[in-house]
Amino acid sequence: MRGIRILFFVAMASLVLSSLAAARPAVPQAAPGPQAKVEVKPEAAPPAAQKAKPAAKPAAKKGEEKRTEPVVPAYSDIRQRSAVIVFYFWLWFSIAVLVYFLLQWVKEADRVYKAKYYEPEESPRKGNPMAPALGE
Amino acid sequence: MKIDMKKFAAWFDERLALTPIFKYMTKKEVPQHGHSIWYYTGSSILLFLVIQIVTGIMLAFYYQPTLDGANASIARIMTELPLGWLIRSIHSWSATFMIAIVMIHMVASMLTKSYRKPREATWMTGMMLIVVSMVFGFTGYLLPWDDLSLSATKVGTNIPAAIPVVGKWVTQFLRGGDDVTGDTLTRFFIFHVCILPLVIFAILILHILLVQKEGMSVPLKDEVAKRRVPVLPFWPNFVLREVIIWLVLLGTVLTVSLVFAPSLGLSADLMAPAPEGVKPEWYFLFLFQTLKIFPANMGPVTGEFVAVVIILIGIMAVFFLPFIDNKPETKKGRVITYLSILGVIYAIVFSIWSLL
Repeated sequence: MRGIRILFFVAMASLVLSSLAAARPAVPQAAPGPQAKVEVKPEAAPPAAQKAKPAAKPAAKKGEEKRTEPVVPAYSDIRQRSAVIVFYFWLWFSIAVLVYFLLQWVKEADRVYKAKYYEPEESPRKGNPMAPALGE
Repeated sequence: MKIDMKKFAAWFDERLALTPIFKYMTKKEVPQHGHSIWYYTGSSILLFLVIQIVTGIMLAFYYQPTLDGANASIARIMTELPLGWLIRSIHSWSATFMIAIVMIHMVASMLTKSYRKPREATWMTGMMLIVVSMVFGFTGYLLPWDDLSLSATKVGTNIPAAIPVVGKWVTQFLRGGDDVTGDTLTRFFIFHVCILPLVIFAILILHILLVQKEGMSVPLKDEVAKRRVPVLPFWPNFVLREVIIWLVLLGTVLTVSLVFAPSLGLSADLMAPAPEGVKPEWYFLFLFQTLKIFPANMGPVTGEFVAVVIILIGIMAVFFLPFIDNKPETKKGRVITYLSILGVIYAIVFSIWSLL
């Protein structure tokens, strides 16, 4: 149980840490727009309006463009960044809440097991006419 | 219309015969002792496997395993598709987590001697799963098709060539020719998404069935002393604890994927010289360093040949460990434990050395 409690505190600490991590971009702040992360030669770059259309061009055609810089992962815009922050906060908050309730469930399951509640011979339910039938 | 859930469940049960499985689960017990924590690593591997499958399918929708399309399609996934970079990062990091936990699972089983009779087959199927997981990582490493992955694959696929008689054929089979080309990429993609998943599922089912058949091992000293070890019901006590660990691991892998998302290098040039500092994935580093320390020639044979033979003997020794360590409670068993610890230290030290 001590190990499980430690995990619970790890989950709580991670909630705070990941929210802080999500609040900053994965790379130094780039200009908005997904294409900002891929540098292409000026002559190969399609017009901005065309680039804004998602999946407008097949990937093979994209391959013809000569990238000069590696693609660095980053949020495409402020909306995506906000969505990720909210998602991570929600994720760790949910994990913390779920872990708390699971811990209570574990405690109860262990208590029931130690009391030999489901063992017909030693169950405290034996002889109790109000208790439901064993083996249900 | 009111649906009678009991009738609905009974209909399924009649056809799928689920009751015996549920009954087995409620009666299954897990030993509780000082090393029980290692029992949780098995199910954690399954969690990461599921994440791999889900994110892998999502990436496969857009990935193109062609010379022109591979790097460009990943660039597109990372830049144009909503949160594509994050999905790729989760796929990459969950692979790392999975292999790390697979290795912890193996080392824990090795040091607690869980492979002893009657669990020899469980150990051997587990070893097969480790090899398949590493091949998954190796084939996946080429798919971004950047300079680093191309060079690492050239080095990696050249290693079997040192094996006498069949070595050259194995290298040619892996590459789909004499050199790493677009054919290699297609071949690796098919291995990564078709063949290896089938293989891993077949072995995994066998491994899980064997674990269920033989049950979980108890510490050797308790078995020798014929002491009864306290147990915990699998359902719900053990499963609930597992779920807590899964949740924390899930949060951790998602957080790491967000903070340390991998970038994508420039598209590989087949004619370009290998870039400096080519290194394989971290789980191959100790093998890579082992190959590096041998000189080019050692008498009538090459150093690479000697290294490959030593590595193969090592792998075989680990694979057949249950038969080598057939009396684990004796002095021989203790010597094998020390050798196992030495092997783990060797792998860690050589991996660090390779990074320096």
